[in-house]
Amino acid sequence: MHEFSIAASLVEKLSEFGRENPDKKIHEIRLAIGELSHVEHEQLRFCYDSITKETPLEGSILKIDKTEALVECPHCSYRGRPKYWDDILAGAPVVTFQCPACGKTVGETQGKECEIKSIKFSQNEPILN
Amino acid sequence: MGAIGSGKTTLIAKLVEKLKNKMGVAVFNGDATTSNDADAIAKQNVPVVQIATINGCHLDANLVGKGLSKIDIGKVKLLFIENIGNLICPAEFPLGSKARVVVVSVTEGPWMVRKHPHMFLGAQIVVINKIDLAGAMGVSVDALTSDVHKLKPDIKVIPTSCKTGAGVDEVAEALIAV
Repeated sequence: MHEFSIAASLVEKLSEFGRENPDKKIHEIRLAIGELSHVEHEQLRFCYDSITKETPLEGSILKIDKTEALVECPHCSYRGRPKYWDDILAGAPVVTFQCPACGKTVGETQGKECEIKSIKFSQNEPILN
Repeated sequence: MGAIGSGKTTLIAKLVEKLKNKMGVAVFNGDATTSNDADAIAKQNVPVVQIATINGCHLDANLVGKGLSKIDIGKVKLLFIENIGNLICPAEFPLGSKARVVVVSVTEGPWMVRKHPHMFLGAQIVVINKIDLAGAMGVSVDALTSDVHKLKPDIKVIPTSCKTGAGVDEVAEALIAV
């Protein structure tokens, strides 16, 4: 839903990097986006490509890795993947906060992140007079 | 949080009426265009701030921060923040609140919970409103409750009718206990 503003902030961050490192060209950005965040990967890529058109970032590739949701149960010792409510929901798997081991309420420990993991760049060719 | 017409404003008005003589109460009403909700609450003589989001589909912490500068927060013990009638975006934008309440009404049909799971995962209290109409709607309050608990077993679910007043005291108690 809010992919455009996320893409805009990402471009802002990358432009900052570009200003500080005028001799480097960015080729690839790798993001990690949590399964529990509401960020749509396809929309984010579309927004990124649209914003970077006719800028030094045009043509750079946005790669997005999904970070799996992990939960922890304060009632039993369970730590790991959440239980999914997918028995009746045909559209998409839905994470629940019901402990797969004891059935009580778990808390999430991973899966809400939206972070830049790496940037690949090259040194620009020096301009020869 | 809750859909348009689920009864958020009416429930807040009922709660304000019950609590305003016991503690300092204030209300922020988020709305895209109108001040209908803030006007309704203002009749009760408690501080009310209308937050117009215009094109925005949810409140965010920045808008709430601006609202805080308009009231004397030192006198407020309980602040209600009514979000925009939207069941997706508000879930993703924490407002700094101590508790999140989702209001679902039986007139929205039987599938509200499973169609909008994210909204419920972050909530502590779910109010199932308009239970006086459950029979006419053919919607089971028990089935909605069971859906909520499948998502998150420890959510407190309170069936209410703002029309008859059923369950409103329980919501007030649950809020104070958070």
